[in-house]
Amino acid sequence: MAYKMRIVATALASVSLAFPALADDEKIVVGFATAESGFMEAYDKPAQEAAMIRIEEINAAGGLLGKKIEVVKADTKSDRAEGAKAGLSVLDEGADLVVVSCDYDFGSPAALAAEDAGQVSFFLCAESVKAGIQGVGPHSFSASVLAPVQGATMAEWAFKEKGAKDFYRLLDTWTVYNKGICDGFDWMMPKLEAQGAKLVGEDTFKNEDASIAAQITRIKTLPKEPDAIMLCTMMPGAVSAIKQLRAAGINSMILNGSGVDGSYWLSAVPDLSNFYVPVQGSIYGDDPSADVNKFNTVYKEKTGAEPSSQYVYPGYVMIDVWAKAVERAGTTEADAVVAELEKMKDEPTLFGTRTFTPELHHQNKARYLIVETKAGKPGVVGEWTISEPVPMEAILK
Amino acid sequence: MSAVSSATETSLTGEVIAAKKQARFALARKTIVTPILLSLLLIAITLITVMTGSRPFNQTVIDVLVRVIFVVGLYIFIGNSGVLSFGHIGFTCLGAYAAAWLTINPIMKSSALPGLPDWLLQTRLIYWQAAILAALFAGVAALIFGKVLMRLSGIAASIATFAVLAMINTIYSNWDSVTGGTSSVVGIPIIRTIWPYLIGAVAAIFIAWAHAISRSGLALRAARDEPTAAAASGVDIPKERLVAFVVSGAVMGLGGALMAHSIGVVTPDTFYLSLTFITLSMLVVGGMGSLSGGVIGVVLLSALIQALRWMEGGVSLGDATFALPKGIQEIALGVIMIVILALRPSGLMGNREITLTRSNRNT
Repeated sequence: MAYKMRIVATALASVSLAFPALADDEKIVVGFATAESGFMEAYDKPAQEAAMIRIEEINAAGGLLGKKIEVVKADTKSDRAEGAKAGLSVLDEGADLVVVSCDYDFGSPAALAAEDAGQVSFFLCAESVKAGIQGVGPHSFSASVLAPVQGATMAEWAFKEKGAKDFYRLLDTWTVYNKGICDGFDWMMPKLEAQGAKLVGEDTFKNEDASIAAQITRIKTLPKEPDAIMLCTMMPGAVSAIKQLRAAGINSMILNGSGVDGSYWLSAVPDLSNFYVPVQGSIYGDDPSADVNKFNTVYKEKTGAEPSSQYVYPGYVMIDVWAKAVERAGTTEADAVVAELEKMKDEPTLFGTRTFTPELHHQNKARYLIVETKAGKPGVVGEWTISEPVPMEAILK
Repeated sequence: MSAVSSATETSLTGEVIAAKKQARFALARKTIVTPILLSLLLIAITLITVMTGSRPFNQTVIDVLVRVIFVVGLYIFIGNSGVLSFGHIGFTCLGAYAAAWLTINPIMKSSALPGLPDWLLQTRLIYWQAAILAALFAGVAALIFGKVLMRLSGIAASIATFAVLAMINTIYSNWDSVTGGTSSVVGIPIIRTIWPYLIGAVAAIFIAWAHAISRSGLALRAARDEPTAAAASGVDIPKERLVAFVVSGAVMGLGGALMAHSIGVVTPDTFYLSLTFITLSMLVVGGMGSLSGGVIGVVLLSALIQALRWMEGGVSLGDATFALPKGIQEIALGVIMIVILALRPSGLMGNREITLTRSNRNT
């Protein structure tokens, strides 16, 4: 009998949990419809921790519009159908901002649910243009920078700062992110060619390819080793590709997207050198901004480890810009907040500036720090902002 | 004298035959209780959902109804023919993408999917019209594949259906201009009211029932149980299997279209191994040879998954909050499925259907 009562109690508790929370004007709710389990957790968790740090800072400073920010969470289980449910469930709990998974494919169901309900949604660190107006709707934003900006930044920086003339383009066709990096590179290249650079060849491979020997042979048969190889790829295949390139004796500069940032994999390619990655902030303790280094310490205190890659930072930026927009609008009402966000032009944040327009809720231009890995040790060697924003045609390609 | 007696005999035999031969629709009348009861079950679940007014719960039940369509679709072929198919989720994929092609705003379509033929680029249908066309499209695809595959039987047929799944998945993952490749296709109108899904599930149940009691369905079940005898009695096994394959392909296509409208995004990897195995296990746990088994399997396993998820999220009992570790849901589900199959190897329902009377063997 007691057992039965317990079941009934459990059932009642579950039902009451499922009921929508009554709107409460005393608090502002941020809903995280992100992955707490499954493979996306590795991407979502760090950025979410960073977001939590910003929320705690705001609450410690007296809250937003005089109200405390509360956090509700729902697990997407790295599954699209569960993502839609997670989005709906944080909305039912009164979320004023719906934070969704890093990746467009996995975040979009929850973002679409928020869009449907007329609420603001933010992708933690998606770098596809679809993560915003183009793929979700007018209330959706991304906290990171478009992938094409990374490719364009690396090409221009290598040409202008490193004097690279002969470029080679090596694309891993696995994801839209990879293609995005190379799209940015492709847009930048003609401009550089007008100034004396040259694209000496291009090739593709697949992330899962065990060997890229054929591609390497084609690079080796070039009359002269290219100055720089634009490598548009991501983990896990990136490590194997880099290792094979170096093992074959190709010592060209390797230019990458932000996806390969982090030192966790460097032991697989000992003494890697001449390797360059664009990052929004440095996790290596040598960021030119003292505030970033301070953030890294706070992050370590809170989570017990240093940030594993630069993808931690957009989470912090996201809450930062959203809170500013809410403060300026004087309300959490979605349209007013969106209007304030769209007014942001070169809004300073801890990790570079942010600009949102009614056409693009994403960054088509950004300051990047360039991290060079030298003899297996990564460190910041410079920074670069592309000379002009990547145009819509190149982003939408 | 003899003439008279022979006349009587003839008329007697006639009467006997007439008595033995069932009236038209007698079988339908005898068995219609099953789909009605199953539909009532789904309607009851839907009504409760609508009454709670919770949006995530609503979405969960939509998911359940979509899975009912999938599993019923599987049952139509697997249950009646006895051939295990791993390929049906391929038809779901076809249906989902067809729905996407037909319902996305033409402006978005021409930039995201430029490879579509012009007439399709210009088309924009209401979701239910698109769902019907998607079902037909999947049915036609099933007809083409089935024409070849249905000549095979046993494990060869199962593996061949798996090959179909792999083929569809590879094509849809790589034909960038038409399917968007591995990236998500967006812009599909999202339908969050539960009724269309209920109608879809009920329609699937009635289609499955009508097929099962049709001449073709009965012949196919005879062939499943006694292939040699059935063939000797004039049953054209490949043909009957093909009929079931096409009907079930169309139902899977309908399910795919509705799934697309429930999430608003389609990608090829949604329609691959994990969906194949979860739907197959729901059918197997419920009872492969029974329509009721399929529906009950989905409802039970979904309820179980939901309950475990709630427990993962934490349930407060008095002052203490009781929560299972994350990820336990998948493990517990596996264990429960093993237990059910160990105790009832032919599934919860076996070959039986739910009816009001006790003589409920499904023949």
